[in-house]
Amino acid sequence: MTFRSLALSNVRGNWRAYSAFILSSVFSVLIFYLYAAFLFHPDVVNGEIRGAAQVKQGMLACEFLIMIFSFFFVLYSNSAFMKTRKKEFGLFTLFGMTRGQIRKMVLYEGAFIAAVSIVAGIGLGMLFSKLFFLALGVLLDSGETIPFAVPPVALWLTAAGFFALFMTITSLTLIRVGRSQIVELLREARKPKPEPRLSVAAALAGFLTLAGGYALALSMNSQSFLILSLPVIGLTVVGTYFLYSQGSVAVLRLLMRRKRFYYNRTHMLTVSQLVYKMKDNARLLFVISVMSAVVLSASGTVYVFQKLQKVQIVDHAPYAVGFVERGADAHEVVDPATVKQIVQADGLRITRERQLAGLLGQDVADDNAAGGKAGNKDDGMQAMIVSERDYNREAGLFGRKQADVADGEAVLVLPYKEMESFSPLKVGDIRFTLSGETVKMKLKSYYGGAVVSPVSYATYMLVVDDARYEALRASAAPSSKLVSYGYEWADWEHSEPTVAKIDAAISPKFESQAQTYRVPSFVSGQQSLGLTLFIGLFISLLFFIAMGSLIYFKLFTELQDDQAQFKALSRIGMTAAEIRRIVVTQVGLVFLLPCLVGSVHALFAIQALGNLLNTSILKYAAVVFAIYLVMQALYFAITCTTYLRSIRGGGRTAAE
Amino acid sequence: MQVLKAQGLSKIYGAKGGIAYHALDQIDLSVDKGEFVGIMGPSGSGKTTLLNLLATIDKPTSGTLEIGGTDPVRLSERDIALFRRRELGFVFQDFNLLDTLPIKENIILPLVLEGAKPAVIEHKLRPIAELLGISSILNKRTYEVSGGQKQRAAIARAIIHEPSLLLADELTGNLDSKSAKDVMNALRDLNERLSATVLLVTHDPFSASYCKRVLFIKDGKLFSEIRRGVNRQAFFQQILDSLSVLGGNFDDVPFARA
Repeated sequence: MTFRSLALSNVRGNWRAYSAFILSSVFSVLIFYLYAAFLFHPDVVNGEIRGAAQVKQGMLACEFLIMIFSFFFVLYSNSAFMKTRKKEFGLFTLFGMTRGQIRKMVLYEGAFIAAVSIVAGIGLGMLFSKLFFLALGVLLDSGETIPFAVPPVALWLTAAGFFALFMTITSLTLIRVGRSQIVELLREARKPKPEPRLSVAAALAGFLTLAGGYALALSMNSQSFLILSLPVIGLTVVGTYFLYSQGSVAVLRLLMRRKRFYYNRTHMLTVSQLVYKMKDNARLLFVISVMSAVVLSASGTVYVFQKLQKVQIVDHAPYAVGFVERGADAHEVVDPATVKQIVQADGLRITRERQLAGLLGQDVADDNAAGGKAGNKDDGMQAMIVSERDYNREAGLFGRKQADVADGEAVLVLPYKEMESFSPLKVGDIRFTLSGETVKMKLKSYYGGAVVSPVSYATYMLVVDDARYEALRASAAPSSKLVSYGYEWADWEHSEPTVAKIDAAISPKFESQAQTYRVPSFVSGQQSLGLTLFIGLFISLLFFIAMGSLIYFKLFTELQDDQAQFKALSRIGMTAAEIRRIVVTQVGLVFLLPCLVGSVHALFAIQALGNLLNTSILKYAAVVFAIYLVMQALYFAITCTTYLRSIRGGGRTAAE
Repeated sequence: MQVLKAQGLSKIYGAKGGIAYHALDQIDLSVDKGEFVGIMGPSGSGKTTLLNLLATIDKPTSGTLEIGGTDPVRLSERDIALFRRRELGFVFQDFNLLDTLPIKENIILPLVLEGAKPAVIEHKLRPIAELLGISSILNKRTYEVSGGQKQRAAIARAIIHEPSLLLADELTGNLDSKSAKDVMNALRDLNERLSATVLLVTHDPFSASYCKRVLFIKDGKLFSEIRRGVNRQAFFQQILDSLSVLGGNFDDVPFARA
């Protein structure tokens, strides 16, 4: 038996423990290669792919992220492996293997695992690169497909980069190998675990910091965001750590004290073993929770933005195309007939076509007793004055709030809901000029949400009662009369060319009186968010797989102890079903708890984001969370099955 | 009343194609309630195989077995586990106590698994702990107590649910002579005061000398049987004599204990 074959058979013998680790490594290499293949793709390098530049930065950042993440992941896994194999090394030493030889063996093993991961990762990467390019091409909307290519630079960068990474870490672990006495190495596995200590104060502190972090997160608004965001993150992270290291033990201890529960069949075993499992894995569970929270918050945020963009853009621009004309029958901006004709020529069905008449109020300002100080500041604000009846009819179309004004009262309609906290006018006396005459009114209230395209004169709207409106209209000059036009058609999401044609038809001089940005900005926003989501997806997946494999690995290092224990238990008459129940509960908790805690963290983060944006976004985020939970549950099911099979297998061989 | 009845118990290994190995050959065995029976034999005599069959973790190739009136061979896997849990008590050489539980909870484990009420559990625990002299260590962890104490705790666990039969496998194998003596005294007390039925498999003549009856097996067959008189020292000598007749390899256990 050569040294190399010994190393090889070591890996093969530890396959079950190694497999999840290798899987994650392969996946890291795979994603790194995919990104590199795009970045160094000849067409991208030569600038032949339209829009490639906008993703290159993000991808490059991801490459660094993958490398850094892989470094820590491999470092952790490797040192954990070495710990579990202490007894093995002790035996080798006992048989006369020198320290140098052990190091050589470990080095060979490391090189072997590196080679397998890199070859498999790059191989799979090549296989999937065409698919990746295809998806990217569609998202970039680059017109032509990106051809399959294996850029040598990407190949070498991936192979060399990861090989260096693996070997660096192996060398680092080598330093630690073979320093201990043989006896210690051999005894390592049999050390009994001391009972976890519990500090009630620390547990309580953990709960309090966590609650504090959550409370702060929910209380954040756009002003306090900058000051509060760091303390929120800090408190949450610290709280999470205490939650696992102390809180979990505290809760389990409480359960243990309730004899009715604790002395109920398998509960005693489940709970008492969990105390150890939780405490031993506290740091790992903590890291995974925080990682889950970050991944979930990030992907949830991007997803929310993508979903929200449409809602928000439709809210901000109520019509696909809208404009305001000055003068009752003027068509300075564009002839409505032209707009209609362009839309219909492109085969689009107009679903809404509205006109709203109003009056131009100028120099709208607060009229307070202090001498119009605020009025000076806001000098020049314009608003479209409309009648209560007209306004309510339009508001009804959009499901907006109805106005109710008495004579002499007015309601200010702001263009966006988000503006409600900084209205230019205060409730109280206001004044404005109409055709050179000052009108004084009482502002009853204000709220956001335009019912016409909020541009130019029609950005703000003042709603007055019908009789007053008629009176004002009668005295208004023709140039103070406004008409707002709005057009909405089906499938506006894909009508960018139509909007471009309308844009061309609008007279350049009066461009500012038209609102046509909805469709183009929606399209470009969707594209860039889609790309972010797509690129981020792989990183999230990588994190996800790595997290799962960390837990998987941790479970399998404890397997030997558990095997012995379950063997003993089945000898004194524990049924297979009972053992399964215990294992599923324990593995399930270790697996799903970090996922759940991470989700709760992310939930608060998303809710805080929602507060900042002044909208409820939880339902969008819930989609992301649900996908994540389902994936974790799947991973859990696979792990649990393998684990149970190993336990049963181990029990059987031991019994025979 | 018979607690254990085995007739023509045989176990054959590796019959498929290869040479069949008769680990056990036509063993007849019967144990009455309240008996304290020892089984001795040299290495490879079939002691462990017999114990595994009695412990229902292995099935005989032929023969019938009845424990407390039930034939475990006919039960399903689940029912066998439940049968073990209710009708049998086990004491192992390596204790098999769970490190994650304190001594007390290790002992009451069989009752807890059966769903007994906390009050009943406490009620049953106290006299047994008293009898075995482990009342003071109930709240300690397994790594805080000595080997002898661990084994007495294991005995308590094996007996707390009042099984029909207590099976002990080399229970003094990991203990020093003082602890071995304590453990054997404890086992004898259990047998005498609670009239627990005990079946002990051992290499060790000293442990065997606590039994009321010792069976010797060799090459998978019953070889001889001796019964104890009044004096344990005399019985010990008798066992040594029988072993020398039996022959075989007993070197793996030190004799210098008595």
